[in-house]
Amino acid sequence: MAKNPKQYEYSVNQVPPTLHLLISAIQHILLMVTTLVFPILFASQVNGTAEFSASLIAFSMLAAGLGSIIQSVGLPFIGSGYLCPNIVGPSYFSLSLSAAWTGGIPLMRGMIIIAGLVEMAIAPMIQKLKKVFPTFIVGLVVAMVGVSIINQSITSFFGLAFSGDAIKHADIFVGIFSLMVMVLANLWGKGFVKMYCLLIGILAGWILALILIPEFLHNLTVVKDFPIFALPVIGPEFRGITFDFKMVLPFVVIGISGSLKSFGNLLAAQKISEPELKEPNFTPIRKGLMADGFSTVLAGLLGGMAVDTSSSNVGLAGATKVLSRWISVCAGGVFVILAFFPKLITVLSMTPKPVMGASLIFAGSFMICTGLQEMFSEKWNPRNIFVVGISLFFGLSTASLPSLYARAPHFIQTFFTDPLPTTTIIAIVLNQIFNLDIVLGTFRKKKVHDR
Amino acid sequence: MWLLKRWRHFIVFPALLLILVIILSGCQSKYEDLDLAMYQYRDTKNLVKFVYDASLILKKEGMKSLAYFRNNPNQFKTTDYYLYVYDMKGTNIYHAGMEHLEGKNLWDVTDKNGKKVIKLVLDALEDRNNPHAWIHYSWWEPGKFYPVPKSSCHFKVETPEGKKLFVGGGINYPHEEQEFIRIIVDDAAQLIKDKGIESLADISNPTSKYNYRDVRVFTFGPDGKMLISPAINSTFSQTNLLECTDEAGHKPFATALKELESADRVWKVFMAKSRYQRRLTKKCLYVRKTIMEGNEIYVAAITDLPEPPY
Repeated sequence: MAKNPKQYEYSVNQVPPTLHLLISAIQHILLMVTTLVFPILFASQVNGTAEFSASLIAFSMLAAGLGSIIQSVGLPFIGSGYLCPNIVGPSYFSLSLSAAWTGGIPLMRGMIIIAGLVEMAIAPMIQKLKKVFPTFIVGLVVAMVGVSIINQSITSFFGLAFSGDAIKHADIFVGIFSLMVMVLANLWGKGFVKMYCLLIGILAGWILALILIPEFLHNLTVVKDFPIFALPVIGPEFRGITFDFKMVLPFVVIGISGSLKSFGNLLAAQKISEPELKEPNFTPIRKGLMADGFSTVLAGLLGGMAVDTSSSNVGLAGATKVLSRWISVCAGGVFVILAFFPKLITVLSMTPKPVMGASLIFAGSFMICTGLQEMFSEKWNPRNIFVVGISLFFGLSTASLPSLYARAPHFIQTFFTDPLPTTTIIAIVLNQIFNLDIVLGTFRKKKVHDR
Repeated sequence: MWLLKRWRHFIVFPALLLILVIILSGCQSKYEDLDLAMYQYRDTKNLVKFVYDASLILKKEGMKSLAYFRNNPNQFKTTDYYLYVYDMKGTNIYHAGMEHLEGKNLWDVTDKNGKKVIKLVLDALEDRNNPHAWIHYSWWEPGKFYPVPKSSCHFKVETPEGKKLFVGGGINYPHEEQEFIRIIVDDAAQLIKDKGIESLADISNPTSKYNYRDVRVFTFGPDGKMLISPAINSTFSQTNLLECTDEAGHKPFATALKELESADRVWKVFMAKSRYQRRLTKKCLYVRKTIMEGNEIYVAAITDLPEPPY
C-alpha cells in the first residue's frame, strides 16, 4: 500500500480522528444519496404505494451500505480495501423495471441475483487479463468512468428532473455558485476547508437555493409527513424470488457491463490510493469485483435495487486527497442506519438538483483528468491513436446519439448501451487486432529460432 | 486567513442555518392550501402556483389588481406562460399575452379541432373532480402560423366588488401529466353511470374534453370487446383488448382487469414505440370500473410517463 502517506490528507489505511471520519463520511453520503432518485422513480413507474416506495429505498440503502462496508473493510477474500462505496446502480434501472413489469419484484430480485453472480464469476478472470489492459487502456477506462456520469451531472446541474423540463435562471446560478464554492475551497483552502470542500459547497448551494427558489422550500413541506424512525415493511410485493429464462441474456450483458464499470472505478481508486504502482495490481481489483458482485446478489436477496460502485465518490476521494477506506466503511454504516430514518432520508434526497449536479461535476472532473493523465503517461504510437480514437467515436456516440442505436440490430443494441462499456470493449478488441502483426512476428521468430 | 483557520464556521453555521430553515419550512408554506402532490412535472406545478397567486391578488384587491397586472407585465407574462382573466360570460377582461383580445367575447371561439374553449373552461370550473380546472386544446402564438398544443388551469374568483370572474394561464407544448387522464377517465366513468349508453357518443366526440392531443378515452367490457376503440373510430376490427400485447410482449389489459377484481381503478405501465424516434418508450394506462345499464364496464385512457432527462 502507499509508502508516502504525507502526499495525502489521509492515506488509504489511515484511520482519521472520529470527528473527521464522521464529517468525511457525511460528505460521501451526500453524493451517495443522489442515486436514491432511482428507487423513488422506480416505485412511481410500477405505481407502488408510499409504503412500497419507502421499503424499496430502505432495502436498496441496506444493500449499498453493507456493500460499501464489504468493499472497503479489508476482508481476506473479498473487497478491494479502497475507498469505493456502493450506490444504487443507474445502469440497472431500465432492465430492472422491465423485469418488474413482467414478473413483479420477485422476478426483479431473481434477475438482479443473476447479474451479481455474473460479476462474481468474472472477478477471478480479471487477473488473467493483464495483457489486455495496457496502461493507455487503463487510463481510457478510468476517463470513461468520469464521462459516463456527464449526462446525469449536467441535467442535474441545470435542475432538470424529467426530459423536456425547462432550464431556469435561478437553477443555473445555484449550480454555478455551488460548483465555484466547491472548486475554490479545494484550490484555495487548506486542511479542513480543502478536505470538506464538497460539503461546504453543498451546504452553501442548498441555502442559496432555498433563498432564491421558493419551490425548494415548498417541496420540503412533505418532510413532516414522514416518520422519524420506521422499519421497512416486507409487503406481498417483496415475497418470493423468481427467474425468467428470456431475461437471462440482457441481465448477463448488464452484469458484464457493470463489472467493466466497477473495474474502471476500482482501477481509478487504486491509481489515486497507490500512485507509486507502475502497473495495475489486479489482486485488490479482483477482490473488489467479487465484493461488487456479492453486493448486487445481496441487493437481490434483500429486495432492493441493484447496487454498483460509485464513480463520483472515487472522484471526491481523489480531489480531496482523503483516501482512508475507513471513511467508506463509516459511510456504509451510516447509510445502513439512515435506511431506518425516513425523515432524514427525505431531507437528504431533496438536495436541490443544481447542487447535486455541481457535486457530480466536481467529482467527475477528477476522474476524467486522472484517466487522461494515465493515458498519456506512456509514449504513444499510431496503434494507440486508432485504438483510442475509434473506440471513443463509437463509445461517445451511445451518449450523444442514443436514438440511433434504438433501431439498430439487436446484437448492436446489446453492446452499444453506455460510453464506458462500449468504449472499453471496442478498445480491447481493436488493441488485440492492431497488434496482431507483432504477435504473429514474435510467433514466427520463435518458430525460426526453434528450428 | 482568519476564516480559513476557523474551518468549523464553514460547516457548522451553514449546517445549523440549513436545519433551521428545513424545520421552519416543515411547519408552514405559502401554498399550504394548494395540493400539488398529483403533479409530476415542475412546469405544471409552477403554472398552477402562478395562476393561484394571481387569483389571490384578484380576490383581495378586486378590479384594481388589473392595473397591477398591466403595470408588471414581466411578472404575468413569462416565456413559458401568461395570465388571462375572463368574466363568466366569456368576455376577456385582461390578457397578458394577447392584449388585442381584451374586451372581446370569446364564447363562440373554437380551436382548430372545433373545441369551444370558453365552454370547456366553465364546465371544468364546475367539475369537483378537476380541482384546478384543467382544459386541453390547441391555440396559436402571435406571429406564428401553426397550432400550438396547450393545457390551461383556472381558478374562479369573486372580487370584493362582487364580480364573478375566472383567472387562468396556459402552457404551450405541455408535459402529459397522469392527473390529466385521471380527471377525464373519472368524469367519463361518472357520465356513463349517470346517462348510460347515450353517453358513449359524447365521450367519443373528438371536440369533447375526453379527447385531446394523442389521448382518447375508450371503453370495453369484461370480455375485452371494445365499446369505444382506443385506436380507430370504428370498432369493426373486433380486436379483443385482453389479448393485445405491448412491444415487450406483456398484456396490460389482462393484468389490469385481474387487479380490478379487488380495486376500483388501476394504473399499468407498458412499452410502446415513441412517435418520432421509433424507440421504445414507457406509456401509462389508467383503467377504472363503472356501471352501464346494470353491467360492469371499464373506462380507460393512455398517456406518456415522465422520462428521466438522460
